[in-house]
Amino acid sequence: MKQVKIYTTPTCIYCRMAKEFFKKNNVAYEEYDVANDDRAREDMIQKSHQMGVPVIDIGGEIFVGFNPREFAKALGLQ
Amino acid sequence: MYDLIIVGGGPAAAAAAVYAARKRLKTVLITESFGGQSIVSADVQNWIGEPHISGYDLAKKFEEHIRSHADVVDVKMPEKVIAVQKVNCLNGTQPCDFAVETDAKNTYEGKALILASGARRRKLGVPGEAELDGKGVAYCSTCDAPVFKGKAVAVVGGGNAGLEAVVDLFPYAAKIYLLEYGEALKGDPVTQGEIAKNSKVEVIVNAQTKAVLGEGTVNGLVYIDRLTNTEKRLDVHGVFVEVGSVPNSEMVKGLVELDRYGQVVIDSKHGTTSMPGIFAAGDVTDDPYKQNNISAGDAVKATLAAYSYLLKRGKQSPAVE
Repeated sequence: MKQVKIYTTPTCIYCRMAKEFFKKNNVAYEEYDVANDDRAREDMIQKSHQMGVPVIDIGGEIFVGFNPREFAKALGLQ
Repeated sequence: MYDLIIVGGGPAAAAAAVYAARKRLKTVLITESFGGQSIVSADVQNWIGEPHISGYDLAKKFEEHIRSHADVVDVKMPEKVIAVQKVNCLNGTQPCDFAVETDAKNTYEGKALILASGARRRKLGVPGEAELDGKGVAYCSTCDAPVFKGKAVAVVGGGNAGLEAVVDLFPYAAKIYLLEYGEALKGDPVTQGEIAKNSKVEVIVNAQTKAVLGEGTVNGLVYIDRLTNTEKRLDVHGVFVEVGSVPNSEMVKGLVELDRYGQVVIDSKHGTTSMPGIFAAGDVTDDPYKQNNISAGDAVKATLAAYSYLLKRGKQSPAVE
């Protein structure tokens, strides 16, 4: 399984949707709260070249926003 | 062939689905997502019966309520309706049916349709906005406010959404400029009061945003002071755009009457449109008050009217299925 990282803020609903999607599909992920983690915030901006959350890193492939169809494709889910 | 097609997933669509189910109408509801525009609201305080509920939880409740009627209401999600056409009119010898086409290349047919497709964010339409979208230009303050920790930001729009964006930014931004085109803020006095108490906020009225500046990321905003007609610049690293909405009515253009803003013209007593068999409710319509409670109530009217329409139609033209 590819390594999944998700950069979030506490009030972002699309972040919650993304996490729920991963949970539902039994995909393990590491979460970084960019509201409280300055370094993660810098990493996120550098990786995605933008300042919106969520940013999802699936095995090095970067996604901005909640897009279940794209996540499924990147993870090889049915 | 369905009795009723519901387009949308916000409060109007949810209310329509619940009432359609109670009338045992064979229904299909097509939406990209549930909850409507208030899904991004951190705290909705005016949904009757709920002193505080997040937009996210409200969306979950709508979905749950719709899906509790799975025996008569089919849910197609995520699918976006791209076109609505009238079909089976048989040269006017019977009322038309409607066929909707979706981005998933599916077609659904129904005898009546309730358009509850809502509205989407209006953009500023100024230079720099599109180029710097996501690079300092933001449209979801509940989502992205924390990313602007310690930065100076501008919020454009002095209505409720703009005021709420300012409140979302309180804990994070170093300085918040709130720009309003008119001569005074328009949002609810309760939120205006909260903002007036915060020393980080500077309200600028009579401000017409001219451009968003920046190479790669935002570093400024230019506006015209409409009183003196002079151009001014703010050094900001974020611009939150909250300047109202645009109705999602493109799929019925040419089929039903729209006003000059693209809103579907309805008779607010019954939610009828200029096309018999098509009803509409919520933010896609020309109803003046864009509110969750009103969208739900208007959708109830539209659904009951659609039910009467179907009954009457059934008598005029016995089943053609």
